[in-house]
Amino acid sequence: MTTTTHDQAPPGLESRGLPWRVGDVIFYGLTAAASLATLGLVVWLSYKVIAQAWGAIQTFGLGFVTSIAWDPVKQNFGALDFIYGTAVTAFIALLIATPLSIAIALFLTELAPRWIRGPVGTLIELLAAIPSVVLGLWGILVFGPWVAAHLEPFLERWLGFIPIFNGDPSQAGLLPAALVLTLMIVPITSSICRELFSRVPSELSEGALALGATRWETIRGVAIPYAGPGIVAAVLLGLGRAFGEAIAVTQVIGAGSGINASLFAPADTLASRIASQYQGAVSGLQIDSILYLAAILLVISLITNVAAQTVVRRFERSRGAIS
Amino acid sequence: MKKGLILSAALLCAAVAAMTTAGVSGATVSEGTRANAGTLTGAGATFPFPLISKWIPAYDQASGTQVNYSPIGSGGGIAAITARTVDFGASDAPLSPDQFTACKGCVQIPWALSATSVIYNVPGAPQGLKLTPAIIAQMYLGFVQKWNSPGIKKLNPGVSLPDLKITPVYRSDSSGTSYNFTDFLTKTSPTWKSKVGTGTSVSWPTGIGARGSSGVTGVVSRTTGAMTYVDVAYALANKLKFARVRNAAGKFTLPGLRSINAAASSVGKVTGNGEISIVNPAKSQPLAYPISTFTYVLAPTSSPKAVELRKFIYWAITSGQQFGPKLLFAPLPKGVLAFNYRQIKKIQG
Repeated sequence: MTTTTHDQAPPGLESRGLPWRVGDVIFYGLTAAASLATLGLVVWLSYKVIAQAWGAIQTFGLGFVTSIAWDPVKQNFGALDFIYGTAVTAFIALLIATPLSIAIALFLTELAPRWIRGPVGTLIELLAAIPSVVLGLWGILVFGPWVAAHLEPFLERWLGFIPIFNGDPSQAGLLPAALVLTLMIVPITSSICRELFSRVPSELSEGALALGATRWETIRGVAIPYAGPGIVAAVLLGLGRAFGEAIAVTQVIGAGSGINASLFAPADTLASRIASQYQGAVSGLQIDSILYLAAILLVISLITNVAAQTVVRRFERSRGAIS
Repeated sequence: MKKGLILSAALLCAAVAAMTTAGVSGATVSEGTRANAGTLTGAGATFPFPLISKWIPAYDQASGTQVNYSPIGSGGGIAAITARTVDFGASDAPLSPDQFTACKGCVQIPWALSATSVIYNVPGAPQGLKLTPAIIAQMYLGFVQKWNSPGIKKLNPGVSLPDLKITPVYRSDSSGTSYNFTDFLTKTSPTWKSKVGTGTSVSWPTGIGARGSSGVTGVVSRTTGAMTYVDVAYALANKLKFARVRNAAGKFTLPGLRSINAAASSVGKVTGNGEISIVNPAKSQPLAYPISTFTYVLAPTSSPKAVELRKFIYWAITSGQQFGPKLLFAPLPKGVLAFNYRQIKKIQG
C-alpha cells in the first residue's frame, strides 16, 4: 500500500513513510528558492521603479497620466499620448492577430492535410524566432515604405470618411507599428491555439460528427468552446508582448507626440519612449519621468494580467458547470 | 543516487554564483576593461566617429596604445562616462548642468570641429538649395508645408520645385546633432526659441522621428519630400544633397572646410566648462557656414588611466587633427587649443 501511494504521490516531502533524502531536501530548497526569488524580484523591481520615479510622481502627481507633454527643454512631462499609442497599437494588433491565429490553428489542426501541418506549423513558429530588432529593420526598409505607398492610400481612398483612415500616408506611424506587432503576436498565439485545438478530445468531435454536425458546427460547438479559456489566455499573452515590445516599435512608430485621430500619423508607445530616451536624458526630472512611464507600463501590464486570469477562471467555471 | 546529489549540489552552487555575480557584474566588467594599461576604451557620439576611426590605427602606431571606441550616440557616451564603464566619453552636445553634477568631476574638451548639413529628398531639386534659418525653422514648426511654397521659391529663382509635402525628420534618440541644429534655430528664430528651444531631444512640433544618423537618413532617402539634419561627413559619404544655408552676413554657404573654419575663427578665449557655440556667427564672417559645431571628449579628472588619457587626448587635438580635412573636420583654433591644454592637465590618477 505504501509503495503504491509513493508511486502516485508527487516526489517531494509529501511522500510520507520514506526517510528524507538529502537530494530531496536540496531539490525542494532549490525549487522553492527559485519561485520565491521570482516573487521577490517582481516586488523588488516594482519598488525600485516606483522609488526611482518618485521625483516625477511628486512633481507632476497623477496629472502626469492625463497630460500630453514631453518637453525636455521646458522640463514638462506627461504620458497620455504614450498611453494612447500603447493602447491603440496593442488593440489593433490583437484585433487582427486573434482571428488570424485562431484561423491558422484551426486550419492546421482540423482542416489541413496531414503532410502540410508539420512544415507550415514550423514555419509560423519560425516567425517567433525572428529577433524583434530584425523585424523592426524589415519594418523600416520594406514594410513601412510599402504601407505608406500602397496600404494607406488604399485605406484612405475607400475608408477615408472615417477619421482614423484620413491623413498623410507615412512610413512610420501607428498603423505600421500595429502591423509589425501583429506579426510578432501571431506566431505565439497561433501556436498556443494549435496546441489547444489538438487537445480537444477526439470523442467529443467525433461524437458531434456522428450526430450529424457539419465540420463548421463541430468547430463552433466543440473545439472553440473547449479551447475558449486557453484562447483568451493566449490572446492576453500576445497583449503582454504588444505592450512591452520596445525595439521593433521604436523603429517603425516615428517617435511622434500628441494624440492624432489618424492611424497614419507618427506616435509613440510607453515602451518605445523609454527605450529611445533613457540614455542621454539631460536632467534628473527627465530620468524620473521616464521611470514614471515605466511604472505606468508596469501597472497596465499587471492589471491586464489579473484581468486575464479572472477571465480564464470564469470561463473554466462556466465550462465546469456545463459538463 | 550519488550522481543526483552531486548534480543538485552543483545546481545550488550555480544558482548562488549567478545571484552573486548579478550583483557585482557591473563592477567586474568595468574593472576588466581597465585591467590592461595599454588600452583605452571610449564610447559616445557618432558625429566624430569617421575621424576617430582614422585616429585609432594611427595612434596605435605612434604610441602602442590600443583605443577602442563604440559610436553609441552622445547620450550613451555621457551615460557611459558617468557610470565610468569607459575611460572616456564623447558628445556633440556640451553637458547640461545636471549631467555635469552627475558625472562627478569630468572635464569637457572640444576635440574636433565640423558642421551639420541640412539634407533633403526633393525630386528635381539640385544640390545646394538655398534656405534661410527662418524658412528651416518654419518647415520644422509646420508653418511651411510645401516645397513650392512662395518663401522657398523666392530664395531659389529658376529652380523648379514640386508641389510636394515637406516631411521634417528628426532624431528620436538623444543626439548632439539635434542639439546643434536646435541651438541654431533657437538663435535665429524667436518663434522656435519660445515654442521649442535647444536640446539633445526636444518636443518636435511636427514630422517623423528616427534613431541615429543612419535612421534619419534612411527615412529621408525613402520619403519624397522629406528633409533632415546630419553631420556633413555623413552626407558626403552617402552622396546626399544638402542645402546652402544663409548666414548672419546674408550669404548662402555650403558646409565645407573653409566655411567651417570661418565660423570657428570667431572663437576667442575659451573659459568655464569648455562649452563653445559657433552657430550663426557674427556678420564679420561672411564665409561662415552657420551650423558649424564643436564635438567634445569627456574625461574624468580622476582616472586610473590618467597618463594614457592625457597622452591620447593631447595627440588627438594636435597630430590627430591632420586626418580631419579629408572628412571635413576643420583644425581646432588656437584659443580652443590653449583651453584644451589646461583641461588635459586636470586629468590625474
